[in-house]
Amino acid sequence: MEKLKYDKPSISKINAGMPSKFGLPVKQKIISEIDGIKVSTLMEEYGSPLFVISEKTIRETHAEAKRAFETRYPKVQFAWSYKTNYLDAVCSIYHEEGSWAEVVSGFEFEKALSNGVHGSQILFNGPDKSKADLRMAIEHNACIHIDHFDELYLLIETSREMKMKARVAIRVNMDAGIYPIWDRFGFNYENGDAWNAINRIMLAESLELIGLHTHIGTYIMVQSAYAIAASKLANLYMAIHRKFDYWLKYIDLGGGFASKNTLKGAYMPGNETCPSFDDYAEAISNALISSEIPHENLPILFLETGRALIDDAGYLLTTVIANKRLNNGRRSMVIDAGVNLLFTSFWYNLGVYPTRELEHAEESTIYGPLCMNIDVIRDAIVFPQVKTGEQLVIERVGAYNITQSMQFITYRPNVILIDNDGKTQIIRKKESLETFKNSEINPKRN
Amino acid sequence: MKITDEVRISDNGFVFNSRTGDSFNVNPTGLELTKLIAQGHDFDTIKNMFLEKYDLDDLTFEKDFYEFIALIKHHQITSHEDPLDFK
Repeated sequence: MEKLKYDKPSISKINAGMPSKFGLPVKQKIISEIDGIKVSTLMEEYGSPLFVISEKTIRETHAEAKRAFETRYPKVQFAWSYKTNYLDAVCSIYHEEGSWAEVVSGFEFEKALSNGVHGSQILFNGPDKSKADLRMAIEHNACIHIDHFDELYLLIETSREMKMKARVAIRVNMDAGIYPIWDRFGFNYENGDAWNAINRIMLAESLELIGLHTHIGTYIMVQSAYAIAASKLANLYMAIHRKFDYWLKYIDLGGGFASKNTLKGAYMPGNETCPSFDDYAEAISNALISSEIPHENLPILFLETGRALIDDAGYLLTTVIANKRLNNGRRSMVIDAGVNLLFTSFWYNLGVYPTRELEHAEESTIYGPLCMNIDVIRDAIVFPQVKTGEQLVIERVGAYNITQSMQFITYRPNVILIDNDGKTQIIRKKESLETFKNSEINPKRN
Repeated sequence: MKITDEVRISDNGFVFNSRTGDSFNVNPTGLELTKLIAQGHDFDTIKNMFLEKYDLDDLTFEKDFYEFIALIKHHQITSHEDPLDFK
């Protein structure tokens, strides 16, 4: 006699009188392939866990952002935010799309140069620029965004010693209606610090002020904040013209556009609540165009958005190691990717999806493999029954996870790129014992 | 282990516990297991019956069985005299 198909025994509590606030449960989303390549094929070839970057998504998202701004404002220049994802293969795609480089350290500056970016097309942000970093930036004619007065004076000293002129902008912080205000970077607009810094720079013979920069925060969900920021920078831009009869070259609105990830504690999913590139572009362009800046003297608009450009292009493929019942009856599972690879899991409810149709969904907790209590990828997610070895996909992990990933307990995995032709290749190799042996020194003892 | 007196199980998988006021749905294999437990069969008998009937290996059954037992115990559908043993 042929045996019957077996279904794992399950029991689910009926919660009568407590309907979901979002209505009936939607069909479970499945990600079985990325850019036409089966997830199982990718994991078979490159192992698990595995970061996957989609070149197609990078280019499409970049094109969408470019269109949103270029159809509304005459002079737009994107600069790729290196800290968001500085794998050479990723940066090269953005540079091919015409992006400059936005860097925040000497290391990132060197990386941008090695990726073939001309020094004059590097925007150098960040609070930590050593004298050597400043020398390198001056030598390469980069745009140095000054963060504080100590840096300003170090830059005056360095450029004088080099007998070269440094091209600079100042970073301005301000009340743009976003609280708490990000006031730790740059010079404050409201208390006059920014204006004082501008005046000091204009007096310095070895500095050439060419722009104004601000970065009002990260994951900004209201586009009106950018309109306020753009208006305040436009006021400074005009004040400089009035006092010094001088037109700056650019206004840089920084980054901070929200990606479609959902913040922890958010009532609605991020893909339904976050502004689109069109929303941000409309707010910024309107504020600049309707400011008192004459149209023939409008500055170039620089944008350093990172997260919103790359988050969707990154996936982390992972495998179920174990299923467990917690002592309160809640289902939990352990997967082979931990918070050391998924830094953004600390503030996002990352989307975790099966690769095939599965049944018996119930509220579950997803743990990573680290022997640490904090290693929780999702603390509450309605997820179907899975067996050990089941392959899962975590989406929207392109921003910050690779650059902020930490080696801990085991090796960090391969990162692969699916190129525009659907071909796959490793763009960062999985670590091995050799990776560590090469940089460690074990002193000999008698 | 036995199904507590206050629990009623219908043939379509609806379970009601009048002690706690909770109600549950069990899937067909869960219902079958619950009924076999209610009839007082021991683990080995239930395992053999399942292995004979379903396309299933013994380790998978054992894992699923004990997970299910833990759940129905958590929901107070069963009571155990000896918490360390299933008989």
